Amino acid sequence: MTFRIFFLMFVLSLGFPMFSFSGIIPKNIFHVTDSFTGKNNSEINRRFKMILWAIIAGTRGGVNRAKILNLIKNNPLNANKIATELNLDHKTVAHHVKILSKNKLIIKAEKNYGAEYQLTQIMTENQNVLEEIMEKIGTK
Amino acid sequence: MIDFMLAAVVSAFLNIVLLLIVIGTYVQNMRVIRSYYTSGLVLVAVLLMIQNIVIVLFWSTLYVDDKALMMSADMVSHYLFAINVIQSIGLSVLVWITRR
Repeated sequence: MTFRIFFLMFVLSLGFPMFSFSGIIPKNIFHVTDSFTGKNNSEINRRFKMILWAIIAGTRGGVNRAKILNLIKNNPLNANKIATELNLDHKTVAHHVKILSKNKLIIKAEKNYGAEYQLTQIMTENQNVLEEIMEKIGTK
Repeated sequence: MIDFMLAAVVSAFLNIVLLLIVIGTYVQNMRVIRSYYTSGLVLVAVLLMIQNIVIVLFWSTLYVDDKALMMSADMVSHYLFAINVIQSIGLSVLVWITRR
């Protein structure tokens, strides 16, 4: 009997999720348009800070990702040059760049192979968060 | 009939392994970036690990030694199994996110 109740609860929890992340985090968090002005901006920045910390401090190789972001913030570079500048393996950089692109932190300037990467709009707007993290990396 | 208690303990062991992987990454990051965020990640992962160690200890000492406790624990063991399996799924996702 108890097992039947448990099974029912399990099936219900699969079919009707009462809790979903997509409900909490707005879908347009990375697409800052003109409608996102005024009071909403601080809310977005707070969430963005959380995401950037998670990607840099909560993943393997996050420190190198921070270094890549810091490197291309002023002058856009392609993956090859990033690898040379940071003295990293080309494959490693390609992987980091892929992850950073997927998380909408950097974007290719053009579509072709070997194109330069630059920060996305939201990343550019929140460079102070990156600087805050880079300071912490610099102390050690 | 599945021994839910044993299955729950196997799942707890799996959780410990997954948490070890996560803690390894978090500690490596903490050594480079010293902040409330990195220390918080390590603390949370360690507390979760203590939880799973307690489950294993409960099984290996109290449960195995005490017949009366064993019977009452067996009546609810499928709940413990469900909790641990859900935690294993969650931690697998966390490991995947952390290591990729």
